[in-house]
Amino acid sequence: MIAQVITYLRERPAMLKWLFIAYLGFALVFDFFADRSDAHFWGDQIIGFWAIFGLLGCLLMIVFCKGLSHVWLERDTDHYDK
Amino acid sequence: MTSSIFMHPAALFIVGALLLPLFRKFNAQKIWLVVVPLLAFIQIRYLPASFGTVEWMGFELQFGRVDQLTMVFLHVFTLMALIGSIFGLHVKESGQHAAAWLYVAGSLGTTLAGDYLTVFVFWELMAFASVFLIWYRKRTRSIEAGYRYLLVHVVGGLILMAGIFLRYQNVHDLSFNLIAPDTATLGDYLIMIGFMLNAAVPPIHAWLPDAYPEATVTGAVFMCAFTTKTAVYVLARGFAGYEVLAILGAIMTLYGVGYAVIENDARRILAYHIVSQVGYMVCGIGIGTHMALNGACAHAYAHILYKALLFMGVGCVLEMTGRSKLSELGGLYKYMPLSLVFTVIGGIAISGFPLTSGFVSKSMIITAAGADHQTIIMLMLSLAAVGTFLSVGIKLPYYIWFGPNDPGIKPKEAHWNMQVGMFMAAFMCIFLGVYPDYLYNMLPYAVEYNPYTSYHLAETFHLLGFTGLGFYVMVKYLKPHDVSNLDLDWFYRKGALVFMWVAKKPINAANEWVSNVYQNIGLRFTMATARALSWFDWEGIDWALDGSAKSVVKAGEQARQLQTGKLQHYIGAAAGLVFVVLIVVVLV
Repeated sequence: MIAQVITYLRERPAMLKWLFIAYLGFALVFDFFADRSDAHFWGDQIIGFWAIFGLLGCLLMIVFCKGLSHVWLERDTDHYDK
Repeated sequence: MTSSIFMHPAALFIVGALLLPLFRKFNAQKIWLVVVPLLAFIQIRYLPASFGTVEWMGFELQFGRVDQLTMVFLHVFTLMALIGSIFGLHVKESGQHAAAWLYVAGSLGTTLAGDYLTVFVFWELMAFASVFLIWYRKRTRSIEAGYRYLLVHVVGGLILMAGIFLRYQNVHDLSFNLIAPDTATLGDYLIMIGFMLNAAVPPIHAWLPDAYPEATVTGAVFMCAFTTKTAVYVLARGFAGYEVLAILGAIMTLYGVGYAVIENDARRILAYHIVSQVGYMVCGIGIGTHMALNGACAHAYAHILYKALLFMGVGCVLEMTGRSKLSELGGLYKYMPLSLVFTVIGGIAISGFPLTSGFVSKSMIITAAGADHQTIIMLMLSLAAVGTFLSVGIKLPYYIWFGPNDPGIKPKEAHWNMQVGMFMAAFMCIFLGVYPDYLYNMLPYAVEYNPYTSYHLAETFHLLGFTGLGFYVMVKYLKPHDVSNLDLDWFYRKGALVFMWVAKKPINAANEWVSNVYQNIGLRFTMATARALSWFDWEGIDWALDGSAKSVVKAGEQARQLQTGKLQHYIGAAAGLVFVVLIVVVLV
């Protein structure tokens, strides 16, 4: 049953994409109505701050970590056995 | 008071472990595996505040000390022992279950201990029992990893012991309580380092991602729950409010998650991610406010359940397919959909989705950092939350159950007992998210925190949604390859090779040269000296005294001739002697 539902969804990638975009839009609109009286620092006052933080953080983390892995850390899985 | 030791939950697990082979013989191992942890889970509610105090060689050992801080850890440890034992029901080897239970006993014993000596004893029990959970995998790699694990933990134990000795010399008191940061001395810091090694605080963390991926399927489920979280407990008990812990904890969260983003082996990803998650707790302990300590305990509770759930999920895949590398997996949703659902529940809980346990626990620590005006630490923790959702929330399930690969395998769904174990953990993840007061009521301090505010919800919607967008954009770049990444274990793994080379080549050669010299010159000289001394002793000194040595030798020679060497003669002589003695006793 679960597998069938997932297969049904996987066959409709465009629908999933629009649902995801709709969710992101909802999250941004929701932020306008959030109660900011208990802010801890300047970022909490900016609408959409955590959206930018999440997107940039995610992209930078992928670029930085994957890059570091490629140029330095990456080894064969039997590196220590050699 | 000594008899009250037997109501110690650790005693229950130790006796339970010892009796396991017996129950296996009568085909009742599965029942016993459920009964004992269930008893322990019920029993901890009835523990008195203090029990099992023993005088030993002038030290007062306290095996049981129960307060709110102990209780929250006892609760989750015994619950986890129950879930883990159910998950492992299909494993027939009693030895593996016994090792797991002795390990649990070590963890419970440490949690309940009221003095450092008791802590140390149970601490070592944990290390020595858990290594068998690695060795039971029985592959060469696991055996090697087990030895490295053991060596690192022995070193950690020695540092802890040195700290305990120094502390005793300084304050003549071994009771295990909070050490105020301004009174801490070298000994106290050594104790802290010993604890930090088990909490996998970088740079002494590499044992964890080295060992856990090599453990057995059920072994890893136990290991991910107990060692690090026991360390979190002892740090919270002894070292709350140390700023160094707040900084190291924040670094940990990013260090662990960074490796989780780039690793390929699913269990190695999860292992690195333990480092990240324990970082939140260590950071909370370092901040040291009531809210931060509450957050650390709540996060330990929630983390044990969802991290175990994730280890169970990928453990099921490993059990059914024999594979755990993302580059060798893909498209399993058709064959193992239930494992997918449970793993995704673990994944969204660890990422802090609303209505899951991560949402109500992680945010406490982040809010506590914000309330303490530690903005940089707060942003580091938030960034680690982004990486968490990226690596464990999306990447891990995506490449195992969907993904671009088609490995062409059609595994069956996992055993029923594994699914029950996963169900229990998944239930708790959602239950705590829906009803956080169940968790908050257990915490050491009164909670004035409501996670379900509109701002926290908005923040979470953004962080998770836009991290998902980042993944969607970069998915091609994240494709896993069959590699592993260097970490700080390089120093001792390569260092050991250098040591072995030195031992083999220069030291061995020098040793041989010295022994040659000794054989040729030294030995002859020694023999000649010995002969000369012997002659002097025999002829010179004996003559000078009274010739007694020569007469002893003569008497010995005569006695030797009396001895025939036949057993019946000796028995006969002994019987005769007894007879003579009897006659003397009766007549006199």
